[in-house]
Amino acid sequence: MIGDSSADGRSLLGRVRDRLEGPNTIGDSTTFWGAFAVVVAALAVYPQVVGPYTVIQTSRYFALAFLALSLCFIWGYAGVLSFGQVAFFGVAAYVFGIVGINLGSVTGAMVALVAAVVGGTLAAALLGYFMFYGGVRDTYVTIMTLVVALVLNTFMAQTAGSEWAVGEAQLGGFNGMNVPSLAFGIGQSGLVLERAALYYALLVTLVATYLGLRVLVNGSFGMTMVAVREDEARTATFGYDVPFVKLVVFTIGGALAAVGGVFYASWGNYVDPTVFGIGFAALPVVWVSIGGRESLLGAIGATLVIERMRTELSSGIGPVGSEWALVIVGGLLLTVILFMPAGVVPTLDDLADRARSRRTEQSQSTTATEEPVE
Amino acid sequence: MITPTATPLSISGYSLLALFFQFLDSFGFIVLATVGLAIIFGMMGVINLAHGEFILIGVYGTALAYHAGAPLPLGMVAGVIAATAFGVVVERTIVRHFYDRLLDSMVATWGLALVVSQLLLIVFGSSLDSISTPLGNVSYGPYSSSVYSSVLLPAIAVCVLAGLYALFTRTTFGIKARATIEDPETARAMGIDTDRMYVATFAIGSALAGLTGALYAPALGSITPNRGNTFLVEAFVAVVVGGQSVILGTLAASGVLSVFNATGSFLFGTFVGQMLLLLVAIVALRVLPDGITGYVDDWQQRRRAEE
Amino acid sequence: MSTPQDINVRQKPAVAATGGGVDTILATKRLTKNFGGLTAVDGVDFSVDEGEIRCLIGPNGAGKSTLLELITGQLSPSAGDVYFDGHDLTGMDTHARIDTGISVKFQSPHVYENLTVAENLRVPLQRADGDTDGVLAETLDRIALEAKADTGASDLSHGEKQRLEIGMAVTLDPALMLLDEPVAGMSIEETADVANLIRSLHDDGMTFVVVEHDMEFVRQISDRVTVLNQGSIFRQGPIEEIEADEDVRRIYLGENA
Repeated sequence: MIGDSSADGRSLLGRVRDRLEGPNTIGDSTTFWGAFAVVVAALAVYPQVVGPYTVIQTSRYFALAFLALSLCFIWGYAGVLSFGQVAFFGVAAYVFGIVGINLGSVTGAMVALVAAVVGGTLAAALLGYFMFYGGVRDTYVTIMTLVVALVLNTFMAQTAGSEWAVGEAQLGGFNGMNVPSLAFGIGQSGLVLERAALYYALLVTLVATYLGLRVLVNGSFGMTMVAVREDEARTATFGYDVPFVKLVVFTIGGALAAVGGVFYASWGNYVDPTVFGIGFAALPVVWVSIGGRESLLGAIGATLVIERMRTELSSGIGPVGSEWALVIVGGLLLTVILFMPAGVVPTLDDLADRARSRRTEQSQSTTATEEPVE
Repeated sequence: MITPTATPLSISGYSLLALFFQFLDSFGFIVLATVGLAIIFGMMGVINLAHGEFILIGVYGTALAYHAGAPLPLGMVAGVIAATAFGVVVERTIVRHFYDRLLDSMVATWGLALVVSQLLLIVFGSSLDSISTPLGNVSYGPYSSSVYSSVLLPAIAVCVLAGLYALFTRTTFGIKARATIEDPETARAMGIDTDRMYVATFAIGSALAGLTGALYAPALGSITPNRGNTFLVEAFVAVVVGGQSVILGTLAASGVLSVFNATGSFLFGTFVGQMLLLLVAIVALRVLPDGITGYVDDWQQRRRAEE
Repeated sequence: MSTPQDINVRQKPAVAATGGGVDTILATKRLTKNFGGLTAVDGVDFSVDEGEIRCLIGPNGAGKSTLLELITGQLSPSAGDVYFDGHDLTGMDTHARIDTGISVKFQSPHVYENLTVAENLRVPLQRADGDTDGVLAETLDRIALEAKADTGASDLSHGEKQRLEIGMAVTLDPALMLLDEPVAGMSIEETADVANLIRSLHDDGMTFVVVEHDMEFVRQISDRVTVLNQGSIFRQGPIEEIEADEDVRRIYLGENA
């Protein structure tokens, strides 16, 4: 808990850790932060030791991790299960493409980034308003979000004709739309985020987002979200405006998905209606359920592992053909939800906690002076 | 389906007739797509996200039996049996663990959906030969409609709802089932085996999904492992709009939605029809969060209060 | 919201004067609630004076809990209005009603089972500004749960959960506290502790409406009692009068027979 940092409570590091740590995230020990630093450092040197193909693929997993964080945030912390986070991901991807194509410069790509994130976020806010202020709850929310994604899928799929264009951007229907790369700079010159540059941009954004979300969920808003998740009616009787809280949560979730969507579209320089399809919509639910819905780190980790596995299966690595990838993913999801409902990471953390407290008890019974690990 | 050969906006007796057939077509489709999902949702609160795959098993059972030489009606029976058996297995092995974790039950059934549709792809390939639609078309003026999907299927849909109504109101099973919905605790205390009621309900829901698949097997054109999704949007929207009362909710939601869907489809194409469906659903949810039947309950209460 | 420090000494709330010496803080007008064919609350005119501890008694199904839920807005009435402290609550959302200065503790313990005791208290507390840590410590002391601050709420005994819930309601520093069976399932000592807690909050100016079956407890805290029966107010008056009333005994016995 926070207690162990009381000694360095006045130091900057101690205060930063206080904000990052709390009951709503896993990993409050010095060991954890050491391991975290090592992993981030390893990911930073990763592009120097592996081939360009692996770097490019890993960038894609990073982009998808935002989608996982988006669902983890709203479902794990506020209990709002959305099957349609891909809708905001996809809306942002399309807006990024449309604005980027029409402006067609480095500055244009920056404007497109902002427009896309705003677009995805507003879409979530609008849907959230209709649902939460309409009193739509639980399974109805889940179904509504999925239906919205599926209808966007149908809508975008029929935009193949040349009349479906926004300015110079052809929506392209099933054939999809070509999308420019993310870039930072002025006019026509600047840093275009591709390959390793995109990788590093994603890594930095992802780590920053993760830490930011930790601060958010461990702060008073996180406590409010958890209270809403645990008992909406009770939380209203403490004066909380529950629909408003859920709207804010859902909007932040939409923004996270939108950031992922922009990176994803920029990564492949392409977006098509399958981002709204039921197959893609299933993936965030798979990652977050398996990684652990109440663990931001679990959601990211599961995304990286499962997507890596899918890539390898589909490129013929492994004992079975690529067509088995979805069977394995679906089977994994079923197994985890049946036997490990909290997900892999929280379950492991729980086991580690128990092992640690056993060890502490033993050491206390032998040498009462030894300090507990945390 | 309807093949308009004249400009659709000109109002004539024929076009009104065509619109009416479109409405029947849409109504039958929404009722049949929804009813299996609705019965499981209404009774147990579980949304079966593998509903599309249950329908698909009905389609595949029918098509495989038909292509193996069975007459179409017999093939349809095979489809229903396959879906029912699958439903019982799924209830016993998966769904029963989730009766107190409704959101998790959606996640689990979604995992199941991924596995089933992908396995069908692996085992039976990317498509099965289509089955030609029986009964042919009826022509009137510039239009023609399929007798099978615009007349026979809507009629069967009404019969299914009537049958369910009889089942729930006229049989001991129905009374026990309603007692279980109302209050499972009390039902158990009164000696009702609620566990068996849940299996039976899930089996009925699966059988109805299988029936839908069987009936639409000859009306789908190509039969592919992603055909289950064809039914999903309509089924979800209708359940959400209808609320938790199975028969009344399905009937009312299908009626309302198919008016919008048929009009939109008839005037502007199936795409606009589907978009209208969604818009109506979102507006309906904003106004009636517990669905049409939730509103009806509420209204009856208010009226009693005023008396 | 007043600052947390003055949890013991709250200012007198501004009350819509209704004439006479004492101000009415809560009033319902012809409040009615139907469930299907059953009328749970039937045209009730219920009013409570500021600074009162009013007990609501009555046989099971008399409509006591429903009346509280109509006041907090968790149920919407079929007809009638609710007024509190100069506000017309009718049609307001629950959270807005709470913000006018009402707190509620439910019948069955309704704590956040997956959170610790301290976290449970932080949920209402974090809406107040100022020294929340101080109020947290003070509240833990009041409900005698300091030793269990980091215990999960699901590991508490029934009585401890009841105290925690009262503590959570108290941290909002309400003008009016609605308690639904605050001592159900408590030992005699625990009941006495709750009675003391209620009296000390009452001395600081808090108004109470308490639904309770335990007449011994009612005698400890209350001066005036309202008897509900079949959704209507059956009797209202000082505790001695109510206890001596033959008709009140009859409806209780009739329910038991």
